Amino acid sequence: MTAVERKRLVEARKQSSTFWRVVHWLGSLQLALVLLSTIAIACAVATIAESEFSTKIAQVYIYKAPWFLVWLAVLCINLFAVTMTRWPWEKKHAGFIVTHYGIITLLIGAIIGIQTGFEGNVTLHKDKGPVRKITVNRSIIQVESPNDSALYVMPFDASTSRPSEKRPRVFEVPQTNLQILADGFSDNLIKEEKLVPSESGSPGVMLRFTSPRMGQTLEMPMVLDAKEPQERDFFGLARVVFQSELPPPKQAGGVETQMVFGKFAPVVSGEFKASGIRVVLGADGKKISIAAPDAATVTYLRSEVMKSPIPFGESLVTVDEYWPDFEMVGGRPTTKSDQPNNPAALVRIQNAKASEGDLKPALFAVPSKDGIRYQFQRGGGTYAEGNAKVGDTISTGWADWQVEILSFYPKAAMRSTMQPGPPLPKGEIGVPGFRAKLISPENNGSETRWVASGDITSLTDGKNVVRIGYGLELRPTPFAMRLLNFEVPRYEGTETPSNFIATIEFKEDGTGFTKTGTARMNHPASFPGTLFANFTGINYKFSQAEWNPRDLGETTLQVLYDPGWLLKWVGSLAICIGITVMFYFKPKPKVL
Amino acid sequence: MRSLVRLFTFAAVFFFFCNATRGLDLTGLDSVPIQEGGRKKPFLVFADEALLSLSGKSRFLKDGVKISSTMAIASLWLTPLGWEDQPLILIANKKFKDQMGFDPAKKLFSYRELAGSEKLRTALQDVSAIRSKNPKATLDVLQREASTVGMRLAVFEGLVSTRSLTLLPTGAAAWSPLKPDDSALVKLREGFRTNNQADFDAGLAELRTEQAREESRFQADAGKISLEVFYQRLHPFRYAWILYLAAGIGMLVVPGKPGYAWGWSLGLSGFLLQIAGFTLRTIISGRAPVTNMYESVVWVAFGTIFFALIFEAIYRSRYFLLGAVPIAVTSLILADTQPVILDRSIHPLVPVLADNFWLTTHVLTITLSYAAFALALGVGHIILGKSILGGKSSPALHNYLYRTLQIGVLLLAIGTILGGVWANYSWGRFWDWDPKETWCRQVGRIWHGRRRRVGLPIRDHGMVWRELHSRRGTPQLRIRHWWASRSRCFYPV
Repeated sequence: MTAVERKRLVEARKQSSTFWRVVHWLGSLQLALVLLSTIAIACAVATIAESEFSTKIAQVYIYKAPWFLVWLAVLCINLFAVTMTRWPWEKKHAGFIVTHYGIITLLIGAIIGIQTGFEGNVTLHKDKGPVRKITVNRSIIQVESPNDSALYVMPFDASTSRPSEKRPRVFEVPQTNLQILADGFSDNLIKEEKLVPSESGSPGVMLRFTSPRMGQTLEMPMVLDAKEPQERDFFGLARVVFQSELPPPKQAGGVETQMVFGKFAPVVSGEFKASGIRVVLGADGKKISIAAPDAATVTYLRSEVMKSPIPFGESLVTVDEYWPDFEMVGGRPTTKSDQPNNPAALVRIQNAKASEGDLKPALFAVPSKDGIRYQFQRGGGTYAEGNAKVGDTISTGWADWQVEILSFYPKAAMRSTMQPGPPLPKGEIGVPGFRAKLISPENNGSETRWVASGDITSLTDGKNVVRIGYGLELRPTPFAMRLLNFEVPRYEGTETPSNFIATIEFKEDGTGFTKTGTARMNHPASFPGTLFANFTGINYKFSQAEWNPRDLGETTLQVLYDPGWLLKWVGSLAICIGITVMFYFKPKPKVL
Repeated sequence: MRSLVRLFTFAAVFFFFCNATRGLDLTGLDSVPIQEGGRKKPFLVFADEALLSLSGKSRFLKDGVKISSTMAIASLWLTPLGWEDQPLILIANKKFKDQMGFDPAKKLFSYRELAGSEKLRTALQDVSAIRSKNPKATLDVLQREASTVGMRLAVFEGLVSTRSLTLLPTGAAAWSPLKPDDSALVKLREGFRTNNQADFDAGLAELRTEQAREESRFQADAGKISLEVFYQRLHPFRYAWILYLAAGIGMLVVPGKPGYAWGWSLGLSGFLLQIAGFTLRTIISGRAPVTNMYESVVWVAFGTIFFALIFEAIYRSRYFLLGAVPIAVTSLILADTQPVILDRSIHPLVPVLADNFWLTTHVLTITLSYAAFALALGVGHIILGKSILGGKSSPALHNYLYRTLQIGVLLLAIGTILGGVWANYSWGRFWDWDPKETWCRQVGRIWHGRRRRVGLPIRDHGMVWRELHSRRGTPQLRIRHWWASRSRCFYPV
């Protein structure tokens, strides 16, 4: 068909049939331009919104907004109509049609993916039991109705809708005539723990740690528990323990230092009973012998054992330093020359049984009449103790940290509230939450509370109590996941991880079908992972997402479920083939 | 003829004196393996990298004499006394120098100057306080400079204390430095101090024996080490740009067939040299040579010449080579002379980038498409120049431009899809309307839309866009993107 004939045919069918008129209008270039330029502008706005605000904002207002979906649907219709306008098709249309149907397939796949698929996270721990829930990136509130004590879930994302006094959000509490009013938002809620005197209760103390050099302070309220010691972690560096009895003063975990000489008697130091181990340095400094009290002796070449602990009975013996020609200069040991004229070595003998936990510095405190009695330990040994009253400041011996006793009550209770903190610098993530109060028909002015993400908060109007939880949705999976093993191999001689390898056991609920998968970096595990599951996308993929350098038994995996994937693939492939056919399988293009 | 002989004699005497002032011959030390930065490398490479990170230069001017990196680092290691007063440590940022009260005209400072500065110490403490509060905190320019200077001080301390010279296999993954009384070290020190080649060589031989004592699986692969020494001394990419430049100038200056033949042969030799360089680098690092900015820049130069040579073989037109040469030479000169910005050292990759066939093919293809577009840029400028100078550009030239764009668009499309394949394979999805993905497609669309209007000066806009948007996006995606190789992320995702 020539171009002229085709033009005539199109005109004729537009004249005679409404159907064809509609098809030609829907497939018109004008409509396509409007659609495409709107999408392009929307994408541009979303890109800026994403970098200025957050991915969520861009998704809620553009990528996953209903209007965008409608727009894409109209685009699909436009693309389809455009292929119809070329009817009857000829061979030269092949590339054009394949490309357009490819785009339609891709968009349908994307819509299916958005509607039925999801993306989430799951944190697994080696020593903990199986997990059956995945945290999905969708914020919800859970409201416990006071009438039937059931939990009701409602989608609500405070960080994208940002309720304010001007634009509050109201939720009905099911089965009641109560309402929850959300009228404030903060992305940096801070938990304030206060120590207050109370009628009943146990002794409580408020400590404030300050480091002038780091410009940091940390307040730590603690209330005594009769049953077990109250232990708080101090930046992972130390422990603070509040208990009823001080531990007996300990000697430093059996750490003993000996300065041994090749030509003189050793100098043994340590405020404890000696280990009885004798260390002898050869007169030329080359050999070192370790002798137990029962006279068993082992000899080593000193240069080979420098700084590496040698297990010896219940002790670890370490040769820390060596000076061939020992001399004290200005109170510090040095060597006069390289010649072994007066060889000396510094040897440390440690009790091998002293556990890791004991070696961490610790502050123990017990309540006294008007303050606390305290004891500091390091390496399992006590290095300071004493009494402190309210207002006293004690040096901790941990860098330049000091601790002040802010308050002490013989009968105290802990009161924690959430309060909005100062605005966060860009890039930092705090705890988001919203301000809420409970409204009943008769009462409009109840107490407001900040509801923090990840917390359960009680709201009351004086009569009714409604518990509300806010956070990410947990989606149950039809199978259980258990972490069997997690490895982090490192690049040689460094602490830089070279991979993350998680071995996970999956167990299906109904059938009990069990499978073990391995998720490595770039190589996800999948469940069920069968050919059918992979093909249809009714398949959960687990890829390595995060790890905890402090706890190597823990890993966080990203979970992905996307039934639309095959359509996206087929669509993309069709687009590529179509473009190739259109642009590269044509007679030589005319040159401008 | 006589003058030539005189010249040679002079050169010989000159070199003899150079060697005489240098005293020791350290070539033996160059190939001694050392473990550093997660891999085993020759001492030569270690020294080059250490000197570069200390001073920003690959040579050091000590007491008016230029000394090699091996000489400088060996001296820091073996005779550290006096080095604390050498102006060795680079501070580049003027504002930072002002703030610290250092002489803003000076670039290099001595360790004593810096370590003694109360202000610098406070600045370093501030930075470490910020980091200890939040390891991922973003630092401002001055804080970043402080942290860089702190890192340089640490490199210096590591060298003079011998702590960072992990030369000894230990029977575990990590090697250890030589003990202070190690007899090899004592001999090396003695030989170096007294300029005694025999003592020094004896120390080296002893060090080698000590290294060979452990099981072979803990030792360095001798073949790879000598290959890396060869690569480090060869400077294939430097000679490549010299050859390309000569090819371009020759073609411009010498008219007709001889000029063209000259261009062809020199261009081809430079190209072969680049192939050799890439082969060596790939064998040494064990991965495709497009994992950081330096490698990408060199690779794009390579691709530009590659496509130019292919087109020259087909069309015999000389415009492809003339268009490619300026781009290849500029990028290679940049890569050669800006080692602080374009870091040429080979580092271990973050896990997400390591071990991935799809990633490699994706990045290779995409960067090759950049090369094709770069060639289009060159050819386009020839057309532009011709039309500005009033000459009517021939239709053939426009056809050439069209051909280069065709290759670029094809590779870009394939590369984008391969990126999708990689993403799908690695973490299960490839299209979710996020900016990076969206704009990759937009670029594809723009190119396809524009392909017929080849004369329009939109040549390189597509690339600029792509660069811009591929760096944005969510933090997660940013890390997954291959640019992540530069960000040194601790967390995998």
